[in-house]
Amino acid sequence: MSDNLEHSFVKQLRENQNIIHKICRLYTNDDDAHKDLFQEITIQLWKAFPKFRGDSKFSTWAYRVALNTAITLYRKSKRSIATIEFEGRQHFLNDVEYNYEEEEQLKLMYKAVYQLNDIEKALIFMYLEDKDYQEIAETLGISEVNARVKMNRIKGKLKKILNPLGI
Amino acid sequence: MKELDLLKKDWQKNTDSFVQVSETEIYKMIHKKSSSIVKWILIISILEVLLWTALSLFFNSDDYLKKLKHEELISYLKILTYFNYGVILTFIYLFYKNYVSISTTASTKQLMTDILKTRKTVQFYVWYNLGMIVLSFIIGFVIAFSYSPEIGSMRDKIFNDVKIMAIIFGVLFLTIAVFFGAFWLFYRLLYGILLRRLYANYKELKKIDL
Repeated sequence: MSDNLEHSFVKQLRENQNIIHKICRLYTNDDDAHKDLFQEITIQLWKAFPKFRGDSKFSTWAYRVALNTAITLYRKSKRSIATIEFEGRQHFLNDVEYNYEEEEQLKLMYKAVYQLNDIEKALIFMYLEDKDYQEIAETLGISEVNARVKMNRIKGKLKKILNPLGI
Repeated sequence: MKELDLLKKDWQKNTDSFVQVSETEIYKMIHKKSSSIVKWILIISILEVLLWTALSLFFNSDDYLKKLKHEELISYLKILTYFNYGVILTFIYLFYKNYVSISTTASTKQLMTDILKTRKTVQFYVWYNLGMIVLSFIIGFVIAFSYSPEIGSMRDKIFNDVKIMAIIFGVLFLTIAVFFGAFWLFYRLLYGILLRRLYANYKELKKIDL
Protein backbone atom coordinates (compact mmCIF):
# COMPACT_ATOMS: atom_id res chain seq x y z
CA MET A 1 0.00 0.00 0.00
CA SER A 2 1.26 3.45 -0.84
CA ASP A 3 2.94 5.72 1.67
CA ASN A 4 0.31 8.34 1.01
CA LEU A 5 -2.48 6.07 2.10
CA GLU A 6 -0.50 5.08 5.17
CA HIS A 7 0.16 8.67 6.07
CA SER A 8 -3.47 9.70 5.63
CA PHE A 9 -4.59 6.76 7.78
CA VAL A 10 -2.14 7.41 10.61
CA LYS A 11 -3.07 11.07 10.71
CA GLN A 12 -6.81 10.44 10.83
CA LEU A 13 -6.44 7.69 13.38
CA ARG A 14 -4.38 9.88 15.68
CA GLU A 15 -7.03 12.56 15.51
CA ASN A 16 -9.85 10.12 16.18
CA GLN A 17 -8.11 7.82 18.64
CA ASN A 18 -10.42 8.64 21.52
CA ILE A 19 -13.19 6.59 19.93
CA ILE A 20 -10.95 3.55 20.16
CA HIS A 21 -9.82 4.40 23.68
CA LYS A 22 -13.42 4.60 24.79
CA ILE A 23 -14.21 1.20 23.36
CA CYS A 24 -11.09 -0.26 24.95
CA ARG A 25 -12.14 1.25 28.25
CA LEU A 26 -15.50 -0.51 28.04
CA TYR A 27 -14.25 -3.89 26.95
CA THR A 28 -11.05 -4.34 28.92
CA ASN A 29 -10.18 -4.27 32.58
CA ASP A 30 -6.55 -3.26 32.73
CA ASP A 31 -3.95 -1.21 30.92
CA ASP A 32 -2.29 -4.15 29.20
CA ALA A 33 -5.54 -5.41 27.76
CA HIS A 34 -6.46 -1.86 26.79
CA LYS A 35 -3.23 -1.50 24.79
CA ASP A 36 -3.67 -4.94 23.30
CA LEU A 37 -7.19 -4.23 22.08
CA PHE A 38 -6.16 -0.77 20.86
CA GLN A 39 -3.49 -2.37 18.72
CA GLU A 40 -5.81 -5.01 17.31
CA ILE A 41 -8.42 -2.38 16.43
CA THR A 42 -5.72 -0.28 14.74
CA ILE A 43 -4.62 -3.27 12.67
CA GLN A 44 -8.20 -4.08 11.67
CA LEU A 45 -8.88 -0.44 10.77
CA TRP A 46 -5.76 -0.36 8.64
CA LYS A 47 -6.76 -3.58 6.90
CA ALA A 48 -10.19 -2.17 6.14
CA PHE A 49 -8.94 1.30 5.24
CA PRO A 50 -8.61 0.75 1.46
CA LYS A 51 -12.37 0.10 1.47
CA PHE A 52 -13.07 3.37 3.26
CA ARG A 53 -14.39 5.61 0.53
CA GLY A 54 -14.78 8.78 2.49
CA ASP A 55 -18.52 8.98 1.86
CA SER A 56 -18.94 8.88 5.61
CA LYS A 57 -16.81 10.50 8.28
CA PHE A 58 -13.69 8.63 9.36
CA SER A 59 -15.05 8.49 12.89
CA THR A 60 -18.40 7.00 11.83
CA TRP A 61 -16.61 4.35 9.83
CA ALA A 62 -14.14 3.67 12.63
CA TYR A 63 -16.93 3.04 15.17
CA ARG A 64 -18.12 0.03 13.30
CA VAL A 65 -14.75 -1.58 12.72
CA ALA A 66 -13.65 -0.89 16.29
CA LEU A 67 -16.82 -2.29 17.83
CA ASN A 68 -16.72 -5.33 15.58
CA THR A 69 -13.15 -6.00 16.59
CA ALA A 70 -13.94 -5.67 20.29
CA ILE A 71 -17.06 -7.86 20.17
CA THR A 72 -16.17 -10.38 17.51
CA LEU A 73 -12.52 -10.67 16.61
CA TYR A 74 -10.66 -9.91 19.77
CA ARG A 75 -9.65 -12.78 22.00
CA LYS A 76 -9.66 -11.73 25.60
CA SER A 77 -6.64 -12.83 27.53
CA LYS A 78 -7.37 -14.74 30.71
CA ARG A 79 -6.05 -11.95 32.80
CA SER A 80 -8.74 -9.54 31.80
CA ILE A 81 -11.59 -11.79 32.90
CA ALA A 82 -10.77 -10.98 36.50
CA THR A 83 -13.07 -8.61 38.29
CA ILE A 84 -12.77 -4.93 37.68
CA GLU A 85 -10.54 -2.92 39.90
CA PHE A 86 -12.65 0.12 39.93
CA GLU A 87 -10.34 2.17 42.09
CA GLY A 88 -7.83 2.21 39.26
CA ARG A 89 -10.35 3.94 37.05
CA GLN A 90 -10.77 7.13 38.95
CA HIS A 91 -9.26 9.10 36.14
CA PHE A 92 -12.59 8.96 34.31
CA LEU A 93 -13.97 11.46 36.70
CA ASN A 94 -13.36 15.04 36.04
CA ASP A 95 -12.24 16.62 39.25
CA VAL A 96 -12.70 20.18 38.08
CA GLU A 97 -16.36 20.29 39.01
CA TYR A 98 -16.14 18.23 42.12
CA ASN A 99 -19.45 17.06 43.43
CA TYR A 100 -19.33 14.27 45.95
CA GLU A 101 -22.82 12.96 45.40
CA GLU A 102 -22.53 13.04 41.64
CA GLU A 103 -19.17 11.39 41.76
CA GLU A 104 -20.54 8.55 43.86
CA GLN A 105 -23.41 8.10 41.44
CA LEU A 106 -21.06 8.09 38.48
CA LYS A 107 -18.85 5.50 40.10
CA LEU A 108 -21.82 3.22 40.63
CA MET A 109 -23.03 3.84 37.12
CA TYR A 110 -19.68 2.93 35.56
CA LYS A 111 -19.57 -0.15 37.73
CA ALA A 112 -23.06 -1.13 36.55
CA VAL A 113 -22.13 -0.65 32.89
CA TYR A 114 -19.17 -2.98 33.35
CA GLN A 115 -21.53 -5.71 34.45
CA LEU A 116 -23.39 -5.69 31.14
CA ASN A 117 -22.55 -8.24 28.47
CA ASP A 118 -20.63 -7.43 25.26
CA ILE A 119 -23.67 -6.66 23.14
CA GLU A 120 -25.33 -4.57 25.82
CA LYS A 121 -22.11 -2.62 26.22
CA ALA A 122 -22.11 -1.91 22.49
CA LEU A 123 -25.63 -0.50 22.68
CA ILE A 124 -24.83 1.61 25.72
CA PHE A 125 -21.64 2.80 24.08
CA MET A 126 -23.46 4.07 21.02
CA TYR A 127 -26.16 5.59 23.20
CA LEU A 128 -23.54 7.47 25.20
CA GLU A 129 -21.98 8.61 21.95
CA ASP A 130 -25.35 10.08 20.92
CA LYS A 131 -25.88 7.75 17.99
CA ASP A 132 -29.45 7.44 16.77
CA TYR A 133 -31.29 4.13 16.76
CA GLN A 134 -30.99 3.81 13.02
CA GLU A 135 -27.20 3.83 13.24
CA ILE A 136 -27.18 1.53 16.28
CA ALA A 137 -29.42 -0.92 14.44
CA GLU A 138 -27.31 -0.80 11.27
CA THR A 139 -24.04 -1.24 13.12
CA LEU A 140 -25.19 -4.30 15.02
CA GLY A 141 -27.32 -5.74 12.23
CA ILE A 142 -30.60 -5.78 14.13
CA SER A 143 -33.86 -3.96 13.45
CA GLU A 144 -34.40 -0.43 14.70
CA VAL A 145 -37.45 -1.39 16.74
CA ASN A 146 -35.54 -4.18 18.44
CA ALA A 147 -32.61 -1.88 19.14
CA ARG A 148 -35.01 0.46 20.92
CA VAL A 149 -36.63 -2.37 22.89
CA LYS A 150 -33.23 -3.73 23.88
CA MET A 151 -32.01 -0.29 24.96
CA ASN A 152 -35.03 0.07 27.25
CA ARG A 153 -34.31 -3.33 28.74
CA ILE A 154 -30.71 -2.35 29.34
CA LYS A 155 -31.85 0.78 31.14
CA GLY A 156 -34.06 -1.44 33.29
CA LYS A 157 -31.15 -3.75 33.95
CA LEU A 158 -28.90 -0.87 34.96
CA LYS A 159 -31.58 0.40 37.32
CA LYS A 160 -31.77 -3.02 38.89
CA ILE A 161 -28.02 -3.24 39.32
CA LEU A 162 -27.96 0.23 40.92
CA ASN A 163 -30.91 -0.48 43.12
CA PRO A 164 -31.35 -4.23 43.54
CA LEU A 165 -34.11 -3.94 46.11
CA GLY A 166 -36.17 -1.58 43.98
CA ILE A 167 -36.57 1.00 46.72
CA MET B 1 -33.06 7.75 33.97
CA LYS B 2 -31.11 10.58 35.52
CA GLU B 3 -28.06 8.48 36.34
CA LEU B 4 -27.74 7.62 32.68
CA ASP B 5 -27.90 11.28 31.70
CA LEU B 6 -25.21 12.00 34.24
CA LEU B 7 -23.09 9.23 32.80
CA LYS B 8 -23.62 10.52 29.28
CA LYS B 9 -22.51 13.98 30.28
CA ASP B 10 -19.41 12.64 31.98
CA TRP B 11 -18.71 10.29 29.09
CA GLN B 12 -18.76 13.01 26.50
CA LYS B 13 -16.70 15.50 28.41
CA ASN B 14 -13.98 13.09 29.48
CA THR B 15 -12.18 12.58 26.22
CA ASP B 16 -8.80 13.93 27.13
CA SER B 17 -8.21 11.54 30.01
CA PHE B 18 -6.61 8.96 27.72
CA VAL B 19 -2.90 8.66 27.18
CA GLN B 20 -2.59 9.73 23.56
CA VAL B 21 -0.91 7.40 21.10
CA SER B 22 1.57 9.14 18.79
CA GLU B 23 1.76 8.82 15.01
CA THR B 24 5.03 6.93 15.30
CA GLU B 25 3.36 4.40 17.55
CA ILE B 26 0.45 4.02 15.13
CA TYR B 27 2.95 3.41 12.30
CA LYS B 28 4.52 0.66 14.37
CA MET B 29 1.15 -0.86 15.20
CA ILE B 30 -0.07 -1.18 11.63
CA HIS B 31 3.01 -3.19 10.76
CA LYS B 32 2.37 -5.68 13.52
CA LYS B 33 0.52 -8.93 12.99
CA SER B 34 -3.10 -9.28 13.93
CA SER B 35 -4.01 -11.85 16.56
CA SER B 36 -7.72 -11.90 15.78
CA ILE B 37 -9.73 -15.11 15.79
CA VAL B 38 -10.19 -14.82 12.03
CA LYS B 39 -6.47 -15.19 11.61
CA TRP B 40 -6.42 -18.23 13.86
CA ILE B 41 -9.31 -19.79 11.98
CA LEU B 42 -7.46 -19.18 8.72
CA ILE B 43 -4.26 -20.80 10.02
CA ILE B 44 -6.06 -23.79 11.47
CA SER B 45 -8.13 -24.18 8.32
CA ILE B 46 -5.12 -24.18 6.03
CA LEU B 47 -3.43 -26.78 8.24
CA GLU B 48 -6.56 -28.91 8.15
CA VAL B 49 -6.87 -28.74 4.39
CA LEU B 50 -3.18 -29.59 3.94
CA LEU B 51 -3.38 -32.50 6.37
CA TRP B 52 -6.51 -34.04 4.92
CA THR B 53 -5.46 -33.51 1.33
CA ALA B 54 -2.10 -35.13 2.07
CA LEU B 55 -3.84 -38.04 3.75
CA SER B 56 -6.20 -38.57 0.85
CA LEU B 57 -3.26 -38.53 -1.57
CA PHE B 58 -1.41 -41.11 0.48
CA PHE B 59 -4.46 -43.33 0.49
CA ASN B 60 -3.37 -44.97 -2.69
CA SER B 61 -4.41 -48.58 -2.97
CA ASP B 62 -3.47 -49.25 -6.60
CA ASP B 63 -0.50 -51.48 -5.76
CA TYR B 64 -2.50 -53.63 -3.43
CA LEU B 65 -5.28 -53.98 -5.98
CA LYS B 66 -2.77 -54.95 -8.69
CA LYS B 67 -1.56 -57.73 -6.46
CA LEU B 68 -5.10 -59.00 -6.21
CA LYS B 69 -5.26 -59.29 -9.99
CA HIS B 70 -8.60 -57.55 -10.14
CA GLU B 71 -7.66 -54.45 -12.04
CA GLU B 72 -11.24 -53.54 -12.88
CA LEU B 73 -11.45 -52.40 -9.28
CA ILE B 74 -8.77 -49.80 -9.98
CA SER B 75 -10.95 -47.97 -12.48
CA TYR B 76 -13.82 -47.85 -9.99
CA LEU B 77 -11.51 -46.37 -7.42
CA LYS B 78 -10.14 -43.92 -9.99
CA ILE B 79 -13.62 -42.47 -10.39
CA LEU B 80 -13.77 -42.09 -6.64
CA THR B 81 -10.36 -40.37 -6.63
CA TYR B 82 -11.36 -37.86 -9.33
CA PHE B 83 -14.56 -37.20 -7.47
CA ASN B 84 -12.45 -36.54 -4.39
CA TYR B 85 -10.26 -34.02 -6.26
CA GLY B 86 -13.41 -32.26 -7.43
CA VAL B 87 -14.62 -32.01 -3.86
CA ILE B 88 -11.26 -30.65 -2.66
CA LEU B 89 -11.27 -27.93 -5.35
CA THR B 90 -14.88 -26.99 -4.68
CA PHE B 91 -14.12 -26.81 -1.03
CA ILE B 92 -11.04 -24.61 -1.47
CA TYR B 93 -13.10 -22.27 -3.67
CA LEU B 94 -15.93 -22.10 -1.09
CA PHE B 95 -13.53 -21.53 1.75
CA TYR B 96 -11.73 -18.76 -0.09
CA LYS B 97 -15.03 -17.13 -1.04
CA ASN B 98 -16.26 -17.20 2.55
CA TYR B 99 -12.93 -15.99 3.87
CA VAL B 100 -12.73 -12.91 1.67
CA SER B 101 -16.32 -12.02 2.48
CA ILE B 102 -15.36 -11.54 6.14
CA SER B 103 -15.33 -7.80 6.58
CA THR B 104 -15.08 -5.70 9.69
CA THR B 105 -17.11 -3.01 7.96
CA ALA B 106 -20.16 -5.28 7.80
CA SER B 107 -22.69 -5.19 10.62
CA THR B 108 -21.73 -7.11 13.74
CA LYS B 109 -24.29 -9.81 13.07
CA GLN B 110 -23.21 -10.21 9.45
CA LEU B 111 -19.58 -10.41 10.47
CA MET B 112 -20.32 -13.15 12.98
CA THR B 113 -22.41 -15.05 10.43
CA ASP B 114 -19.56 -14.88 7.92
CA ILE B 115 -16.98 -16.12 10.41
CA LEU B 116 -19.16 -19.01 11.49
CA LYS B 117 -19.84 -19.89 7.85
CA THR B 118 -16.12 -20.02 7.06
CA ARG B 119 -15.49 -22.25 10.00
CA LYS B 120 -18.40 -24.53 9.09
CA THR B 121 -17.04 -24.96 5.57
CA VAL B 122 -13.78 -26.28 6.97
CA GLN B 123 -15.55 -28.46 9.47
CA PHE B 124 -17.72 -29.88 6.71
CA TYR B 125 -14.58 -30.71 4.76
CA VAL B 126 -13.08 -32.50 7.74
CA TRP B 127 -16.23 -34.58 8.25
CA TYR B 128 -16.29 -35.36 4.55
CA ASN B 129 -12.71 -36.66 4.77
CA LEU B 130 -13.47 -38.67 7.86
CA GLY B 131 -16.43 -40.16 6.03
CA MET B 132 -14.24 -40.98 3.05
CA ILE B 133 -11.70 -42.68 5.28
CA VAL B 134 -14.36 -44.80 6.91
CA LEU B 135 -15.77 -45.61 3.48
CA SER B 136 -12.31 -46.62 2.18
CA PHE B 137 -11.87 -48.67 5.30
CA ILE B 138 -15.11 -50.54 4.64
CA ILE B 139 -14.46 -50.92 0.92
CA GLY B 140 -10.94 -52.18 1.69
CA PHE B 141 -12.38 -54.62 4.16
CA VAL B 142 -14.96 -55.89 1.68
CA ILE B 143 -12.39 -56.18 -1.12
CA ALA B 144 -9.95 -58.03 1.09
CA PHE B 145 -12.76 -60.27 2.21
CA SER B 146 -14.06 -61.10 -1.24
CA TYR B 147 -10.92 -61.13 -3.35
CA SER B 148 -7.86 -61.76 -1.25
CA PRO B 149 -6.67 -65.36 -1.63
CA GLU B 150 -5.33 -65.48 1.93
CA ILE B 151 -8.65 -64.63 3.48
CA GLY B 152 -10.55 -66.63 0.86
CA SER B 153 -10.00 -69.92 2.59
CA MET B 154 -11.15 -68.53 5.90
CA ARG B 155 -14.17 -66.89 4.39
CA ASP B 156 -16.55 -69.81 4.63
CA LYS B 157 -15.41 -70.53 8.14
CA ILE B 158 -16.09 -66.97 9.25
CA PHE B 159 -19.48 -66.76 7.57
CA ASN B 160 -20.58 -69.93 9.26
CA ASP B 161 -19.63 -68.76 12.71
CA VAL B 162 -21.96 -66.06 14.02
CA LYS B 163 -19.72 -65.41 16.99
CA ILE B 164 -16.63 -64.56 14.94
CA MET B 165 -18.78 -62.48 12.56
CA ALA B 166 -20.15 -60.52 15.50
CA ILE B 167 -16.67 -59.93 16.90
CA ILE B 168 -15.31 -58.74 13.55
CA PHE B 169 -18.17 -56.32 12.97
CA GLY B 170 -18.07 -55.22 16.57
CA VAL B 171 -14.40 -54.33 16.36
CA LEU B 172 -14.97 -52.57 13.04
CA PHE B 173 -17.83 -50.54 14.44
CA LEU B 174 -15.97 -49.69 17.63
CA THR B 175 -12.90 -48.50 15.72
CA ILE B 176 -15.05 -46.16 13.63
CA ALA B 177 -16.90 -44.89 16.70
CA VAL B 178 -13.68 -44.17 18.64
CA PHE B 179 -12.20 -42.48 15.59
CA PHE B 180 -15.19 -40.18 15.18
CA GLY B 181 -15.51 -39.57 18.89
CA ALA B 182 -11.90 -38.47 19.21
CA PHE B 183 -12.27 -36.02 16.33
CA TRP B 184 -15.54 -34.67 17.62
CA LEU B 185 -13.95 -34.05 21.01
CA PHE B 186 -10.88 -32.44 19.43
CA TYR B 187 -13.02 -30.02 17.44
CA ARG B 188 -15.23 -29.20 20.36
CA LEU B 189 -12.16 -28.25 22.37
CA LEU B 190 -10.34 -26.39 19.61
CA TYR B 191 -13.23 -24.26 18.43
CA GLY B 192 -14.85 -24.16 21.83
CA ILE B 193 -11.85 -22.26 23.15
CA LEU B 194 -11.52 -20.10 20.06
CA LEU B 195 -15.15 -19.22 19.52
CA ARG B 196 -16.80 -19.35 22.91
CA ARG B 197 -17.17 -15.61 23.16
CA LEU B 198 -18.22 -15.18 19.55
CA TYR B 199 -20.96 -17.79 19.96
CA ALA B 200 -22.22 -16.17 23.14
CA ASN B 201 -22.40 -12.75 21.48
CA TYR B 202 -23.97 -14.20 18.36
CA LYS B 203 -26.68 -15.83 20.43
CA GLU B 204 -27.27 -12.59 22.30
CA LEU B 205 -27.66 -10.66 19.04
CA LYS B 206 -30.05 -13.23 17.64
CA LYS B 207 -32.08 -13.11 20.83
CA ILE B 208 -32.59 -9.35 20.40
CA ASP B 209 -34.05 -9.87 16.95
CA LEU B 210 -36.42 -12.68 17.88
